[in-house]
Amino acid sequence: MPTRHVIVGGGTAGHNAIVTIRQEERGEASEITLVSDERPYSRMVLPYYLGRTIAESHVYTATPARLAQLGVTTQLGRRAVGLDPRAGKLTLDDDTVVEYDDLLIATGSSPVRPPIPGVDGPGVHSFWTLDEARGVVAEIKPGSHVVMVGAGFIAFTILNSILALGAKLTIVEIAPQILPRMIDRQGAELVEAWLEKHGVKIRTSATLTAVERRNGRRRLRMKAGGDLDADVVIMATGIRPNLEWLQGSGIRVNRGVLVDDHLRASVPNVYAAGDVAEGRDRVTGEPDVHAIEPTAMEHGRVVGANMAGRDVAYRGSLLMNIVGVCHLDVASFGRWDDPKAEVVAAVRPERPAYRKLLFHGDRLTGAMLLGRADDVWTTNDVGMLKGLVQTGVALGRWKEHLRRNPFDIKSAFVASRTTARLLPETVLGRPSATPGIVATTRT
Amino acid sequence: MKVLKIVPERCTGCLRCELACSYMQTGTFQPAKSVIRVSAFEGHTSYAPYTCFQCAEGWCMTACPVGAITISPAGAKIVLDDQCVGCKLCTLACPYGTIFYNPDTRKAFKCNLCGGDPACASACPTQAILYEEADVADWLGDFAAARGEPRLLALAGTGGR
Repeated sequence: MPTRHVIVGGGTAGHNAIVTIRQEERGEASEITLVSDERPYSRMVLPYYLGRTIAESHVYTATPARLAQLGVTTQLGRRAVGLDPRAGKLTLDDDTVVEYDDLLIATGSSPVRPPIPGVDGPGVHSFWTLDEARGVVAEIKPGSHVVMVGAGFIAFTILNSILALGAKLTIVEIAPQILPRMIDRQGAELVEAWLEKHGVKIRTSATLTAVERRNGRRRLRMKAGGDLDADVVIMATGIRPNLEWLQGSGIRVNRGVLVDDHLRASVPNVYAAGDVAEGRDRVTGEPDVHAIEPTAMEHGRVVGANMAGRDVAYRGSLLMNIVGVCHLDVASFGRWDDPKAEVVAAVRPERPAYRKLLFHGDRLTGAMLLGRADDVWTTNDVGMLKGLVQTGVALGRWKEHLRRNPFDIKSAFVASRTTARLLPETVLGRPSATPGIVATTRT
Repeated sequence: MKVLKIVPERCTGCLRCELACSYMQTGTFQPAKSVIRVSAFEGHTSYAPYTCFQCAEGWCMTACPVGAITISPAGAKIVLDDQCVGCKLCTLACPYGTIFYNPDTRKAFKCNLCGGDPACASACPTQAILYEEADVADWLGDFAAARGEPRLLALAGTGGR
């Protein structure tokens, strides 16, 4: 009997697992069942759908035709509600029971809203799922005043699109700075000044106390500094992993599903990947939840290879983010906020340009970069910073070079022979296949 | 598989590769849009071109959330313009810094080996860039390490260091 794989969640992790199973399996094709309450799409590209630079059709990853080509049985529009690892059974919200030989938990995360009166009312949106994106797309018109509550990464990914639609934007953030979990205070101040120059109003250390309806608009009651009237309110106040349905399964959960170096959960034949998994951080070696697209992708591929019968250990995920706002790019890698690291920083506020490098000994363990798009993409050393953090290459005397000029990454990257360290490395222990290619052993 | 092999000892820093590359890739002579970049080693009169290794992992390709990066018949990881949404994830994922983002077109772009006839290799007057069967390697590491920090060379008879 062929192996029965069940993938719970059709986001980046689940989709990559499915494709990788088909690329890696040999011999008889396995059975794959995908359980997903939504049609599979890429969350990463929703901001471009909002900005109308791509059509809605562009967001879908595994279309029905593609899933058929991959030989996947689907339970779409269904939600998993219970898992019994001893019996190898998954229960869905319509009481369907799906039996599995192995199962991937890839249920992602959901937006959370603070417990404030009115935040669940009409005209107050999240921007997380495709459905929510459609809601925001329908409401923003040229001249609309959009108030975004929360100045985190998700908020910043849709900032350009909101402005491109001709809306006016105010950002309200409870923390003393914007992007508090992506850049430091100095970087944040540069971004705030840049955005204000581009017409975005920013209120930090600002606490929302209620959202009320007023003449068809929304009034945001603020603790201090005056209330705000908005046509559209977007709550971008964080996300949390979708774990509730695992209660009673016996699976060990911390902030996410705890997984080992093969992304196996604490019970047999169950894996977890993506936003819902708490796996190894490559830099610290400690378990962490990295709710970012690249982690979901790598997790999904590693699980897919293991489900297909290979023995692939994962080295851990690297925290990294990049976002561009009004032609200013901001990126951070690894432990950019490590208080124990040795820090080298340089700033040119008038341009603006900012670099921060964090070392343990002569190894780079975190980095932050900020600059105008024309600058960043002409020097193009974003990736090299990633390479240095990813490999943890010993920089030797090149550390001193970086201390003198943190903007000259390339010299240190090349001369420390980082390339030689990188070339043999692959995530699955073999060259990657084109995303569209599926093993021909399947009939 | 043919690869772009760099022989840095032969590079004179003439930048013809950058001009040829940008012309082939964008139709204009603008080295800032070249996907091969020549580094100067200050004080050493040494130069070396650097470009995509078409690495086995294809970090850019696997990172792309919409499958817009694929492998061409020449073995290059290539960006499909009509699929790329411009999210920059590939530029973040590529640990070599060899995939670029064009703020004007809002697309990623990278070395595509010019479909199997790389303009940089053809343009190089000193054969510092070769397109031949080889295992890809760290062409520049030893060369760069040996050149170290910028330094001023002493002139004979001046008593300088």
